[in-house]
Amino acid sequence: MNILEMKNLTKCFGGLTAVGNVDFGVPKGIISGLIGPNGAGKTTIFNLITGVYKVTDGKILFKDNDITNKEPYLISGQGITRTFQNIRLFKKLTVYENVLIACHSNGNYNLLESVLRLPRCRKQEKQLKQKADDLLEIMGLKDRKDLIANNLPYGLQRRLEIARALALNPELLLLDEPAAGMNPDETAQLMTLISDIRPKFDLSVLIIDHHMDLVMGICEKIMVLNFGCKLAEGTPQDIQNNPKVIEAYLGVEG
Amino acid sequence: MSRFLQQLINGLSIGSVYALMAVGYSLVYSIMNFSNFAHGGVIMLGAYFGYYYLTKLGLPFFVAFIASALTTGILAVVIERGAYKPLRERKAPFLYFIISAMGASIFLENIVIATIGPTFKSYPEILSRTPIQLGSVTLGRIDLTMFIISAICLALLVFFIDFTKMGKAIQATSYSVKASALMGINTDLVIIVVFALGGFFAGIAGVLFGMKYTVYPQIGIITNKSFIAAVFGGLGSLPGAVVGSILLGIIETMTSGYLSSNYRDLIAFVLLIAILVFRPSGLMGKITEDKA
Amino acid sequence: MDLYYIQGILMLAGINLMSVLGLSLLTGFTGMFSFGHAGFMAIGGYTSAMMTVNYGWPFIPALLMGALTAALMSALIGKLTLNLKGDYFCIATLGFGEAIRLVLDNVQYFGGARGWPGIPNYTNFTNVLIINIIAIIILANIIRSRQGRNMIAVREEELASQIVGINVFKYKLISLMISAAYAGIAGGLMAHYMTFLQPKMFSLVKSTELTIIVIFGGLGSISGSVLGALVLTSLPEILRSFSNWRLVIYGLSVIVIMISRPEGLMGGYELTPSSMKKLFTRMRSKKGNLPKSMEGGDTL
Ligand SMILES: Nc1ncnc2c1ncn2[C@@H]1O[C@H](COP(=O)(O)OP(=O)(O)OP(=O)(O)O)[C@@H](O)[C@H]1O
Ligand SMILES: [Mg+2]
Repeated sequence: MNILEMKNLTKCFGGLTAVGNVDFGVPKGIISGLIGPNGAGKTTIFNLITGVYKVTDGKILFKDNDITNKEPYLISGQGITRTFQNIRLFKKLTVYENVLIACHSNGNYNLLESVLRLPRCRKQEKQLKQKADDLLEIMGLKDRKDLIANNLPYGLQRRLEIARALALNPELLLLDEPAAGMNPDETAQLMTLISDIRPKFDLSVLIIDHHMDLVMGICEKIMVLNFGCKLAEGTPQDIQNNPKVIEAYLGVEG
Repeated sequence: MSRFLQQLINGLSIGSVYALMAVGYSLVYSIMNFSNFAHGGVIMLGAYFGYYYLTKLGLPFFVAFIASALTTGILAVVIERGAYKPLRERKAPFLYFIISAMGASIFLENIVIATIGPTFKSYPEILSRTPIQLGSVTLGRIDLTMFIISAICLALLVFFIDFTKMGKAIQATSYSVKASALMGINTDLVIIVVFALGGFFAGIAGVLFGMKYTVYPQIGIITNKSFIAAVFGGLGSLPGAVVGSILLGIIETMTSGYLSSNYRDLIAFVLLIAILVFRPSGLMGKITEDKA
Repeated sequence: MDLYYIQGILMLAGINLMSVLGLSLLTGFTGMFSFGHAGFMAIGGYTSAMMTVNYGWPFIPALLMGALTAALMSALIGKLTLNLKGDYFCIATLGFGEAIRLVLDNVQYFGGARGWPGIPNYTNFTNVLIINIIAIIILANIIRSRQGRNMIAVREEELASQIVGINVFKYKLISLMISAAYAGIAGGLMAHYMTFLQPKMFSLVKSTELTIIVIFGGLGSISGSVLGALVLTSLPEILRSFSNWRLVIYGLSVIVIMISRPEGLMGGYELTPSSMKKLFTRMRSKKGNLPKSMEGGDTL
């Protein structure tokens, strides 16, 4: 069963068609991959799913609900979160604050209760803080929780962004080049981490990445994009043996 | 009909001086993306310099005119060096520029109050106050002078921007400071020129204003109108500033003529809000697309 | 200097502080700049004076009425302009503030530009103090709640805030409304302290002064705002004998602060018992040499 469906998805910037007539389904409960050369339109697809860009044509369905062109905060409220290719943390805040902010939707006390610091507010605040602590623990960031996010090493900033995304209890997690800028060691660690958190949080995951080995290693389904159009889709084996893909993409790499 | 024509002429005359002031706001905005509220203070000082050059130094009118424009040109550059350059070097957010500009404007206004005093000063009579009669419409000599001088100045500015190397550099820098710097344009020099130009025209506008009305330290408040005109036309766009100013001048004189002069200022600010709500980029401003 | 004089200055500072606290939430914690808060003060001042003078309401309900009216007005303005980019929002608030003043100039019911004398003298040292303390507690409570954190998130990064499910527009609007309500109360306090209202009192200069205080105190610091309001209100009063030169110095200092210490007096630090303790232990262990980063305190 697919948790997310893109139907005939199209995005044009002026004369440039960054994404053209893409149909793709993201299956529930597995890790899927989105690959393609630079400028193929991968990030644009993420921006369309999360409502950052308005769709030119086509539809996006999440759990059979139409979420096309909804405001980004509504889409994340429905259960889709993401990380960014060029990391977007709350840079000047601490690691802990970054995660705690994202936990906000786990509480539902209102402004009046905050102003008067009523019991429900205190109780829920405690729960939110506990949740933030737990997430930092799981993501291995606990010992750096009071560091300013911008001062974290690059690899840990990417981890923090994932931790922040998980704070929203998403059902679908979109990761945009999570291993970019990491050394092979860090990349391997990250892969294990992603495969660990998927069942733990009952997630469906869609990963964009350039590291062929990473994608082939952990994804069960892959879509290849080229010049904004779908080139192929299938299991890692299908993709590796697909002549069009070899010509357009793998051929250049290897 | 003659009343309408009369107001139209008054509006054109006042609007043309607004335009001289508004291009100063727009030039700075086009390069540095902030509203330079110290500009009003510079205009006010221009009026004072003109007054002193005429009365104390006894300079002939046109000499005094050019002299005060040069003085305010230099003054504007000094303000840039002192109040904005350090912020630029630190890449401070636009708000710090605005606050710094407001500080400069408070400083300029009050240094005049502290040294010269808050009293009104009147320019000596340079032009005869008897108007020219054209049928049923009267044409003030000062109004006519204001219009002609403003028009000449704006024409010179257009020529400078479109046909000189420095003008081209200004255009390029307004498109992208970073890219221009990479192309080898001395953007620091461009900024100096932009402030000098704005200051120069501010001086001229100040003297024209002083001639028509009187000189006093809060004259800068009137110049806020020219800022509104710049927003109206589209901040950062020179043609926009001119069109916005002329329109605002006409709207103001029509309001005074047909409604009441009490509402003249109110209309201007309501217009400001309305334009921001319905068309924030102004009549002719460049519309920017958002990027993620 | 007699006690009476000092009390007078402190009351003025307290009235300013009330506005500054509101603006601090908007500017320091939500990252939006307003040059129109004098307009909200005017709305609050005229409304509450109308309630006490023309309808015989007691002081506190009249103040709250002023706050409510200012907040509703801000909601209207916010709906229209909050989507504008930073500097355009600034300009819109400037236009709003001036428009309010010019409208009041023409409302003869309130005395127009000549002003409105004979407002009862209800504001006193005690009620200013109590109201400010309550205002500070409320503000601190908001900031350490999920709503306050969402506002801080909006200040830091709008897109990231959206992605973590924060309705950016809504939190900007809430912040604007609360800050307008604070300004409205300040206006009411001012009306019943001066016993006189005139549109001129709420000019652009007043709005600028408020923003300058917030920046001077340090963005994102409540204690900074308190210090800023105390220092910047009382200094000019004490320097009154220098008359005209004090504003010259004031203008110059604003520029100097902007270019030399843009983070303000407190710059993200908060003076709380726990942060003081931290500061002292760190000073003992390291002898000064404090890190510049935002740390300690209860900003969150
Ligand atoms: N906001 C925008 N305005 C105009 N063009 C854009 C915009 N965003 C993306 N594009 C264009 O759309 C195309 C696809 O860009 P996209 O960022 O989706 O590529 P990508 O597959 O993520 O590439 P990379 O591997 O480099 O991240 C590119 O040609 C890009 O220049
Ligand atoms: Mg990309």
